[in-house]
Amino acid sequence: MKLRKGLIFIMVILIGLVLAACSDKESSGKDKDSSSKDENAVNETGMPIVDEELDLTFFANKPAQNEGNDWNDILIWNEYQDQTNINVKWNQISPDALEEKRNLALGGGDLPDAFFLSQVTNTDLLRYGGQKVFLPLNDLIEKHAPNLTALMENDPSIRKAITFPDGNIYSMPSLIEEDFLSLRLSARPWINEDWLKELDMDIPETTGEFYEYLKAVKELDPVGGGKTIPYGGTQIQEMVQWLSGSFGVMNHGPSNTNFDLDPNDDSKLRFYAATDEYRQMLEYIHKLYDEDLIDQSIFTIEWGQFLANASENLYGSMIFYDPIELFGEEIGSQYNSLAALEGPEGHKDYNKLSSSVWDTANLVITSENPNPAATVRWMDHFYSEEGAELYYMGVEGETFEKKDGKAVYMDHILNPEGDMTFEQAIAKQLTWLGSINGIIKADYFQGGESAPQSMDAAEKIAPFVPDEIWPRFTFTDEENKILQSIGQDVNNYVEEMRDKFITGDEDLAGWDKYVKTLDQIGLEQVVEVYQDAFDRYKEAN
Amino acid sequence: MEIQPPLKQSRGYKIKKKFVANWQLYLFLLPVMTYFFIFHYIPMYGIQIAFKDYFANLGIFGSPWVGFEHFERFFNSYYFWRLLKNTLILNTYMLILFPLPIIFALSLNELRNGPFKKWSQTLTYAPHFVSVVVVVGMLVAFLDPNTGLVNHFVRLLGMKPIPFLTAPEWFRHIFVWSGQWQSLGWGTIIYLAALAGVNPELHEAAKVDGATRMQRILKINLPSIMPTIVVLFILNIGNFMQIGFEKVLLMQNNLNSETSDIIQTYVYETGILQGQYSFAAAIGLFESIINIILLVTVNQIARKVSDNSLW
Repeated sequence: MKLRKGLIFIMVILIGLVLAACSDKESSGKDKDSSSKDENAVNETGMPIVDEELDLTFFANKPAQNEGNDWNDILIWNEYQDQTNINVKWNQISPDALEEKRNLALGGGDLPDAFFLSQVTNTDLLRYGGQKVFLPLNDLIEKHAPNLTALMENDPSIRKAITFPDGNIYSMPSLIEEDFLSLRLSARPWINEDWLKELDMDIPETTGEFYEYLKAVKELDPVGGGKTIPYGGTQIQEMVQWLSGSFGVMNHGPSNTNFDLDPNDDSKLRFYAATDEYRQMLEYIHKLYDEDLIDQSIFTIEWGQFLANASENLYGSMIFYDPIELFGEEIGSQYNSLAALEGPEGHKDYNKLSSSVWDTANLVITSENPNPAATVRWMDHFYSEEGAELYYMGVEGETFEKKDGKAVYMDHILNPEGDMTFEQAIAKQLTWLGSINGIIKADYFQGGESAPQSMDAAEKIAPFVPDEIWPRFTFTDEENKILQSIGQDVNNYVEEMRDKFITGDEDLAGWDKYVKTLDQIGLEQVVEVYQDAFDRYKEAN
Repeated sequence: MEIQPPLKQSRGYKIKKKFVANWQLYLFLLPVMTYFFIFHYIPMYGIQIAFKDYFANLGIFGSPWVGFEHFERFFNSYYFWRLLKNTLILNTYMLILFPLPIIFALSLNELRNGPFKKWSQTLTYAPHFVSVVVVVGMLVAFLDPNTGLVNHFVRLLGMKPIPFLTAPEWFRHIFVWSGQWQSLGWGTIIYLAALAGVNPELHEAAKVDGATRMQRILKINLPSIMPTIVVLFILNIGNFMQIGFEKVLLMQNNLNSETSDIIQTYVYETGILQGQYSFAAAIGLFESIINIILLVTVNQIARKVSDNSLW
């Protein structure tokens, strides 16, 4: 009996300790909240941003390409610290651990002053914004972010993309300059021009011609042994999105999965994955797949295998990034770009490109931040010409020079010594690899997307790009709940069936059953949610 | 003479006496108990997030209660029945192959100790040390419809290449048998150890009586390792719902999800990747409860039928 009593005693003490530890955290959190914030200590314009040196801790996602560098001691951030008098202590997190560490930071009471490029989702922005963990930034942006405000006035979709249904803005976005099409396109279609010439064909302009080309390549078999792959890619989705412009679906870009504008009624959203146009597209792709014109392993191929195949020059066409940069001059230069194909109903658009709002949460300011106004100004600089130049090009005389008024990297970066690659040379002094911070502009960017071949492709595609590409809409908490459950099931089902229709595992004759199943899953509710979000999007200014 | 209150004191006294006499043994037990208490019992308070709407900043205790919302959502999900079916079938399939290592161990045991036995043991152990990612990489490389070795032979035989990796009807076989390839040798270790403990006199006596080798295996070896088999079987049942989920995830694609979509991959995709921890916890709890029920039932049956059980 005594033994049991002793045990109970020990357990009570242990549990007490655990509880005490937890409640300690809570009370200390509250203390910090109530501490006064000195918001006046910020210069309205010019540099430095603060007169008295300000220390801030940023939680930052550090993309893999930056592995070797330390953001706490690197040219770009040292320079910016000198300019602004704000000393950022970077808590650098590798992408694998990002989500976990971010949630720990949010949960452990150990909040940073801001989250930088940390991929905070819209759902979380709203959740933690509502909990007052993230500060609403509407007024601060109005007052202290002239550059971002100017961009938002110029392109209202930016403000719409970051404003939540409760009217609040909780983040400053990563933007792509609207005209920097090449970056918004990401992977784009290419065709092997040498083989075109051999076949005495012109660059395909319609889906029919494209089919003819693929068929001809298959017969010609330039590689030999039946190894030629008329079309290849890393995932089938690339092709589906590209061809959606030829069949008249996804007419406002891919950000709102499976939804676009109803062509007959511009006040209505359309769930296009159940339309006849979409069905026609799947029929077309199924035909290609069935006749072995699409790589049969496209659903399982890994990146490395794709590169290996490409460097053996097996592909007649593909959707990918800059071929010369990735496969070298000899093979890469055989490729010419494809633009939009004209479909059977006369649609000829190119809808596979991202909105100019790349990410809503470039910078999120937390309740711990001692000087939110200065932090907003710190960020706002990157939406300006000088800021874009600083972030992507670095410091004149250190990393770049002006040639005919245009910024160009210096020789030690373009032609690095020894085994170092271009990217490694950049990572020594700059941190932009793998991320978009502030606004990214064609004039101040020198990476794969601004290589001549890619820029040329973008120019050809430009005339077919729709006027308006939507960013992802914002939703309320209630709506998010529906989207995360039923919405997720709908998306999974659509994607699964898309692939099955394409391979023929599922006969397109069973289309009605597919549509019916979507209704069973609860499509109606999802449509309602999106329609509401769209109505808000249209009304907002 | 004093009259002592007989039962009560003497019982407490006995326990105390035992405790004092064997205090070293209890001391040995203490670290393990502490370990289990701290790392396995205390964290259980986190289970409550299955019934809450978890906000990281509010903590586990501070988040609001939502009752069975997450469970309802899971049970009402369109995919629920498919997930449950796939999980059960895949696990049952693996469980059916439970006797394989036993048969293998019995036959290894019959080999004379020599280089051949050593070799075959080492060869069958080796795959155990290959990481899952590598195994799946090998599967993809071997089974690829265009460049894979296997399909190369299929084509040589004049057949159309088989889409092993994307066909739902192939997924279970590939998953289970590649798993067997990896774990077969390793799984025999315990049985071999148990077989080493079989009394040689029994065999000698049986030989004298003219028992054949097969009879000796079935009548001596098998009954001798039966307790080990039963215990291992029960332990296996305890892990019933927990398949090597990384491997399923790596092998999964839209085309084979018909059979490859299991509860754990669903948890990973909708729970963890989207930060819905409460939902993930609810499904995890559901799985654990099924496991416990199975474990207790099988243990009960085993105790009745064979006298061997975990407790």
